[in-house]
Amino acid sequence: MDVFFNLTLNGLATGMLIFLLAAGLTLIFGLMDVLNFAHGGLFAWGAYSGTWLYATTGSFIIGILGAVVTGLILGLITERVIIKPVYGNHVQQILITLGLMLVLSELLKVVWGPNQLSATAPDFLKGSFEVGGVIIIKYRLFIIAVGLLVFFAVQYVLKNTKIGLVVRAGVMNKEMVQALGINIKKVFMLVFMVGSGMAALSGVLLGPYSGVIHAEMGMEFAILAFIVVVIGGMGSFPGSILAAILVGLSGSFMAYYVPDLALAANMLLMAIVLIFRPQGLFGWKG
Amino acid sequence: MTIQLKLNEVETYIGQFHILQGISLEVRKGEVTVLLGRNGAGKTTTLRTIMGLNPSTKGTITFNNEEIQSLPTYSVAQKGIGYVPEDQGIFSELTVEENLKVAMKNESDSTKERLNYILNLFPDLKKFWKKPGGLLSGGQKQMLSIARAYVNDNELLLIDEPSKGLAPIVVEKVMESIIEMKDTTTIVLVEQNFMMASTIGDHFYIIDDGQTVQNGPMEVLKEDDEMRRKYLGIA
Amino acid sequence: MGGRGEKKVKSIFVQRKNIVYTIIAILLILFPFMNDSRSMMILFTQVFIFAIFAMSYDLLLGFTGIVSFGHAMFFGIGAYAVGIFMKQFEPTLPYFLLAVVITILITAIVSYVVGLLTLRLKSHFYAMLTLAFASLFLVLAEKWRTLTHGNDGFTFRTPEIFRDRLDFYLICLVSMIVVFLLLNRFTNSPLGKVLQAIRENEQRTESLGYSVIQYKIIASVVSGVLAGFAGILYSVSLRFVNTSVFTMDITLDALLMTIIGGVGTLIGAIIGAGLIEFAHHWLTELAKVHWIFERWIIFFGIIYILVVMFFPRGIVGTVRNIKLKSKKRVTDKSEQQKAAG
Ligand SMILES: Nc1ncnc2c1ncn2[C@@H]1O[C@H](COP(=O)(O)OP(=O)(O)OP(=O)(O)O)[C@@H](O)[C@H]1O
Ligand SMILES: [Mg+2]
Repeated sequence: MDVFFNLTLNGLATGMLIFLLAAGLTLIFGLMDVLNFAHGGLFAWGAYSGTWLYATTGSFIIGILGAVVTGLILGLITERVIIKPVYGNHVQQILITLGLMLVLSELLKVVWGPNQLSATAPDFLKGSFEVGGVIIIKYRLFIIAVGLLVFFAVQYVLKNTKIGLVVRAGVMNKEMVQALGINIKKVFMLVFMVGSGMAALSGVLLGPYSGVIHAEMGMEFAILAFIVVVIGGMGSFPGSILAAILVGLSGSFMAYYVPDLALAANMLLMAIVLIFRPQGLFGWKG
Repeated sequence: MTIQLKLNEVETYIGQFHILQGISLEVRKGEVTVLLGRNGAGKTTTLRTIMGLNPSTKGTITFNNEEIQSLPTYSVAQKGIGYVPEDQGIFSELTVEENLKVAMKNESDSTKERLNYILNLFPDLKKFWKKPGGLLSGGQKQMLSIARAYVNDNELLLIDEPSKGLAPIVVEKVMESIIEMKDTTTIVLVEQNFMMASTIGDHFYIIDDGQTVQNGPMEVLKEDDEMRRKYLGIA
Repeated sequence: MGGRGEKKVKSIFVQRKNIVYTIIAILLILFPFMNDSRSMMILFTQVFIFAIFAMSYDLLLGFTGIVSFGHAMFFGIGAYAVGIFMKQFEPTLPYFLLAVVITILITAIVSYVVGLLTLRLKSHFYAMLTLAFASLFLVLAEKWRTLTHGNDGFTFRTPEIFRDRLDFYLICLVSMIVVFLLLNRFTNSPLGKVLQAIRENEQRTESLGYSVIQYKIIASVVSGVLAGFAGILYSVSLRFVNTSVFTMDITLDALLMTIIGGVGTLIGAIIGAGLIEFAHHWLTELAKVHWIFERWIIFFGIIYILVVMFFPRGIVGTVRNIKLKSKKRVTDKSEQQKAAG
């Protein structure tokens, strides 16, 4: 029982981190057909900048905010300088974002050195508490809470504001959105920034969770996020959280029972989805 | 009467295909101008070119004395042109309400008035207010699409085959609504249904192989069996 | 502008090109006999191996327009197959050949399956799925310790004929030339023309009655098998294999080489391989001078981005464009003169 509960909590926490990464990817893809292979780089930048800020200022909150701001700024630069010049050309886009991924991870090493950094949770999130015989690690709960908070906030914006409506409409039919007088490129820039900010948030949250951060983790997590995007359906925001939880849980349970097959299980899931439902389990786009 | 929209020798490529090879037309304010022509003649492409969805490569498009052929789609729309595409372009996962909200540029009184007006014209939309657009019937989708183009203070509406695939009774309903809107808005209508086209049209243009080949007042076409047979395949 | 004039320019161009290629090939064959720097010879051997790898990538990206981010997995499959066979059995030629056959089988099956799964979807899916598959192979190599010895990898002995550095240099050089000629033949064959048609306009090719997906899968399989072959040579050259052969770095090498060298040209892949390998060699040495050179790959990352943005045809494509233009100008002028005179 204890094990089961712990694995679930673990899986949910990982799932939330993946969700934060995948949500941006899926919306960016849905809106503009851009699959950002540098998304993991933004994630790693969030992790490093946030961890560094936390270490220098001593404030975890500043660390988190700093990471998000880093993500927003890098997102803006990426969209303007890297993505915009190659709109509409899929091959060029795919190639260029991977190039950016390379540059971003190398730059990380230039700024913070090639070795991994250690990251710890602030005191108020350290340790665990007990509820009805099960031990709950505070920081995991924190991640889940932040993830849910972000999910509901974004969901609220998507459902109840004009800009949210435009984003959802844009995912379905971007020509029509423009024919209604909306400059979708501006909307896209905004979404790209927010998506990058979420990726950076995911990165900084991961630090204390895994204890160390390193430049390669960007790609590792990005691959999980890609799997989630496929399973959840490209362009589907609700799909991304459901799929992320699925992938997080399956990863956590597999890692406990058959650790060697954790990634394989998720890949298998993705392959099945690709064969039978290429638009994703929860998506509408092909 | 003033000319609201004018196309002068407009040419458009889609990929490497030369689709529009010389479209010239004048749309007068307050009239319904009907574009006719066989399947594949280039009617839809003409409307899409006006909207900037298939940008032209040659010629000029003037709207209210301003050249708009090189503007991006959203600016064209902001100038006051509404578009009802052939496939209606409904956002399938958004409700009827949300579909209309996306379109509304503001919440001003005049916008609300127009919304009320169009909802009275199409009570079905009110009935299915919270229903996802994708689940509406063909006719209801058409109404929603027209309503969406109408809610803003557009001076010109481009409507692409509103009668396509609709039952005669629904066609009549859509027709009535267009006749009503005619009072306040200039309309360019693509229509294969000649009954409908001739009832509400003031002026016609015939497009053939990507070129405007004939035009004149609707009465002329109504009487000219020969022309109808030649270009439209109907007598 | 006479079409004949253009044709003449082209055939002179092709002839000249062939002569240049032949001279370079001869120079490369003679090189180890004139220069006895062992490290240079090893470096050149690496260039040949990566040139094969990059050409296999070019077949996908440059000739068919498919982006793969998991090309390392084919490379790694070849590298491990040969390593495992040499280690577990005996370092003899028959076992080596068996390893080659196994490599061909596995790479063909994997590329077939991945292609079947994703090549009918948008191009993003193939890039993504290959990326994910490659990471799966990386994990496999890390975890299947009985065969792979985990992260650290293992050394092994190679069959007699590969032991001499000079012989191996020549083997790799000849392999590179053969692969180049084969792929040149392949891309100029009717099948290759279809692939290029797919790259230019997929829908049109489909509407002309070609089953695009099948052709894409063929390209994917041929490319995968060749990459596996490069991997075999690679691990034989090192007599060692570890998990690095499955990493993103290897795929990135292929990308940098083909993109910077020039996609869709084959020769660009070879030039790119030379460029990157030599840069790697020199710039790593420079790391003693300044630490920034330790991160030499960053320069290439930036160059790569700029090339994708501004010179999507790479070095070779861009040079060819310039040349063709100036040649055309010359013939135009001479024809004008002829007409005038
Ligand atoms: N995306 C495209 N690619 C290539 N050709 C196209 C494309 N879109 C349209 N065409 C071609 O352009 C021509 C004009 O098409 P268009 O849709 O404008 O015709 P239409 O007059 O609206 O016909 P219909 O009455 O059937 O709606 C047709 O021959 C069509 O095949
Ligand atoms: Mg049409």
